[in-house]
Amino acid sequence: MIPFNFDYYRPDTLEEATRAYRELDSRSLEPVYYSGGSEIISMARVHNIYTKAVIDLKAIPECNVLEFREDRLFIGSSVTLSRISEENPYPLLSKACSRIADHTMQCRITIGGNLGGTIIYREASLPLLLSDCEVIVTSSGSLSRVPLAEVFRERLLLPRGEFIVQFVIRKEYAAVPYVHVKKTRNEKIDYPLVSVAALKKDGRIRLALSGVCPFPFRSADIEDRLNDMNDSWGIRIDKALEYLPAPILNDISGSNGYRKFVLKNTLLNTLRTLEAMH
Amino acid sequence: MEAGTVIGSSVERKEAWDKVTGVAKYTDDFIVPGILHAKLLTSPYAHAVIKSIDAAQAIKSPGVKAIITGSDFPILCGVVLEDHPPVATDKVRYFGEPVAIVVANSEREAMHAVKLIKVAYEPLPVVGSVGDAVKSHAPLIHENLAAYKHAVKGIYPEPNTNIADRISIRKGNMPEGWALSEVVAEAVFKLPKSDHIAMETRNARAEIHADGEVLISTSSQSPYSVKKMLSQYFSIDEGKVNVKTPLVGGGFGGKSPVQLELLAYMASKSVGGRLVKIANSREEDIVTSPCKLGLEARIKLGASRSGLLKAAEMTFLVDTGAYADIGPRLAKSIAIDCTGPYNIDNVWCDSLCVYTNHPYSTSFRSFGHVSYTFCIERAIDKLAKMLGMDPLEFRLRNALGPGQTTPTQVKTTLSNLGNLTACLKKLKHDIKWYEGAVIEAGNGKIRAKGISCLWKTSDSPTDSVSGIFLTFNTDGSINLNSGVVEIGPGMKTTLAQILAEKMKMDLSRIHIKLEVDTQVSPEHWKTVASMTTFMAGRATLRAAEDLMKQLRSLAALVMRCPPEDLDIAEEKVFLKQDPTIYVAFKDLVHGYKYPNGNAVEGQILGRGSFIMSHITQLDKETGKGKPGPAWTVGAQAVEVEFDKTELTYRILKACTVLDAGKVINPKTARGLITGGMSMGLGMGSREAFQYDSEGRVLNTSLRTYKVMHIGEEPEYIVDFVETPQIDAPYGARGISEHGIIGMPAALANALSAASGAELDELPITPEYIWKIKGGQA
Repeated sequence: MIPFNFDYYRPDTLEEATRAYRELDSRSLEPVYYSGGSEIISMARVHNIYTKAVIDLKAIPECNVLEFREDRLFIGSSVTLSRISEENPYPLLSKACSRIADHTMQCRITIGGNLGGTIIYREASLPLLLSDCEVIVTSSGSLSRVPLAEVFRERLLLPRGEFIVQFVIRKEYAAVPYVHVKKTRNEKIDYPLVSVAALKKDGRIRLALSGVCPFPFRSADIEDRLNDMNDSWGIRIDKALEYLPAPILNDISGSNGYRKFVLKNTLLNTLRTLEAMH
Repeated sequence: MEAGTVIGSSVERKEAWDKVTGVAKYTDDFIVPGILHAKLLTSPYAHAVIKSIDAAQAIKSPGVKAIITGSDFPILCGVVLEDHPPVATDKVRYFGEPVAIVVANSEREAMHAVKLIKVAYEPLPVVGSVGDAVKSHAPLIHENLAAYKHAVKGIYPEPNTNIADRISIRKGNMPEGWALSEVVAEAVFKLPKSDHIAMETRNARAEIHADGEVLISTSSQSPYSVKKMLSQYFSIDEGKVNVKTPLVGGGFGGKSPVQLELLAYMASKSVGGRLVKIANSREEDIVTSPCKLGLEARIKLGASRSGLLKAAEMTFLVDTGAYADIGPRLAKSIAIDCTGPYNIDNVWCDSLCVYTNHPYSTSFRSFGHVSYTFCIERAIDKLAKMLGMDPLEFRLRNALGPGQTTPTQVKTTLSNLGNLTACLKKLKHDIKWYEGAVIEAGNGKIRAKGISCLWKTSDSPTDSVSGIFLTFNTDGSINLNSGVVEIGPGMKTTLAQILAEKMKMDLSRIHIKLEVDTQVSPEHWKTVASMTTFMAGRATLRAAEDLMKQLRSLAALVMRCPPEDLDIAEEKVFLKQDPTIYVAFKDLVHGYKYPNGNAVEGQILGRGSFIMSHITQLDKETGKGKPGPAWTVGAQAVEVEFDKTELTYRILKACTVLDAGKVINPKTARGLITGGMSMGLGMGSREAFQYDSEGRVLNTSLRTYKVMHIGEEPEYIVDFVETPQIDAPYGARGISEHGIIGMPAALANALSAASGAELDELPITPEYIWKIKGGQA
């Protein structure tokens, strides 16, 4: 039960969506864009989200594309996690999406929602951060294409009223060697203690993490240490951990000490597996 | 189904088609126009004085009809000890405790208004564990413990402490026992509170008619308790309270206590008797409604060098949480079976029911047995290890057998106990014990097996009753009416099987009333304690005898022969010496009509009643007494694959061999036991309330409170031994709860063997193993 009334808008075009936002915002209705809606439902029923108007992006054709065009893969922000994992255009992303929540929820959660939501893990971002992803965003009446890293640092940083329409990834990333590992407390379907996505491109390891800090991240410093061929794996990992961007999470899923233990083991397995791939 | 073969057959449960097609209706599925909705404001503190409640703004909120606070109904409730205001009055004692009820036209309006109530609290020191609760000078959770009314006999609260009850077992001679003990194992165990997580959250409706009649609909395992308690607490004639319970979506003991029914009644009363419903959200179901007990225990076990158990000393601290509810009886249930199914001549046990500022406990599948069994079975494994004995052989050597005594000094027989030795031998084969308990599996992995024994008796009130009414349809088929609640295990189908077998008729010709209506269904004490087949089954057999006597008597008149020459089968009363001479049921059951139109006798109505016999209260000093009619024993095993580096594990196999007495419905029995095993593995591996430093439960939703999911289940092996319980219907013992009992212990024994760490707390997460192996936070 959502314990408040709100207006529902379902624009058919990008232009209608942004116009609706401006208008509702000017009337102080605190509008929110959404697509799957799982977070709104689950947060609103416990009084953690409040809005007087929602704008449903599901009907906008551009938000629903999932296709290769020339050397690029285009993924609409309203595409569900289950559709990505089933159609499997980018195996590392499919793997990450298939480990977020359970299958019922994967049929509802969208990739845009996973990045834009309030739950801190945003695991669908990891493969995107590794693949120099660009995003097409609505920007004051027109569309612009910018690197994901510019609008997503720890979380989505778009100006009010803007939203991601599509993610654009170079096709070559669909074929690089990769590893994805998600470690949880003791249950397959749970928030991550550590979620690691890694790939090898041009002889270099790229790696992004979720669950370790209160946000997902990819770190150049950490990658430099992991790619330092002069050191053993163990030393590389120890050095890399000195560059974590925030203290390790300490919560009911796992203590920081245990998370560090899991992180080290997982990194070691990930890197060894990746090394053996060509 | 052929008449006479129905016991022992995997018949479909009668409600199966309604359930799988979604037609089956549960309490909250009935949509009633004009119904009002009640929502709770609950406490954000685990222990605090309520300074003031300001509902002025909330009452003006749209759609709000009434707001109820504790002072509106200043009563104390409790099934054992009356310590519990239905809505908190002067202070709150747990996080999630009801502080106010809002009644409104819609659920939305009620939820909105709840947020407008302003409560001022003054936090009190929180008692966060039973260990802290029993310390001298611990903050008192119930200052007036001595003044509380006792709802039952044989309960001993200790004034000016947090101890609600203490049960003592004194058997044999302890100094002698320790003198004979050449090897002694001692350890401390801790088990957290957790929740039932029934699929259907608890909910109730109440309505008060103009003539004073109170109608309650509730998702309950105890509709007759609802009736009696409402009558008692609110001074309503018992006959004016009628309680209805349709199908219930899982109980596991959590729907045995009376809670929401009281709140629904109070809500209805506050709006002039209008129909009001109250339904828990999952979060409320987890913390506001009662949960599973927590336990801390110290166990000391002694054995001779030859491997015979000689002495046991144990202290159990049952975490009953903020209110006693059935907690004192849980402590008793632990005490009566504290040794596990082993022969120990010298036993000292103190089992305490202790208050804390945790959500309050109630019955949970196995009534405390899964909790203490974890402790005793871990201790048994430790002792076997010290003796250098195979843990299965050690258990075989000490298995309780006929002619010995239980902790409460009941003499055991094959009938009242069953055959544990046979269970262990079968388990040994089924789990391939000969492979070895620990095997290197390569890739840094170990495969390991652990075992546990189990036993349980009912610990029901000494005068528990069950009744059955039988009526005939004109075609000769029978309607069976019982107060048993259908909570999932197909109990009424079992009763129909028992009746069909006895009457030697086709099962499809027996119709069951699935819903319970306390006004028309004869009382069945509570649908708990794995006692339904025994109690309601016995009542069914008596009702069948009653029908058959009447049928023979009328048929004798019609057939002009003595009744003893008549037998009954396939809906006919026939001459034993010539079965072709008979009268069909359909010509008898609504009166017999002679060719000239004269009629005699009228409807044949059957009734059967059962009351527990020979059960006694326990002696206060020694615990001597008979707690239940009989035991069910069994043996269980778990096989895991353990990763030596990451300290993670997978559960590969789980096995149960149970002495069922007689398996009435093999597939249902397997399903029941498998369900229990799955729950036990969840409890062993992940389920636990987690608190912050102020005693607030942190994992109140299924996002963070995890149960076993499909896809994580191991291979389940379920096998039976059949040693009849002579006084039970067709020899069948209670089996509904038992699948859970030894699972956490068997899992812990397997993982302790695999990891080399002594794992004495639950749940066993990889982080816990890491910590025990020296991991630093």
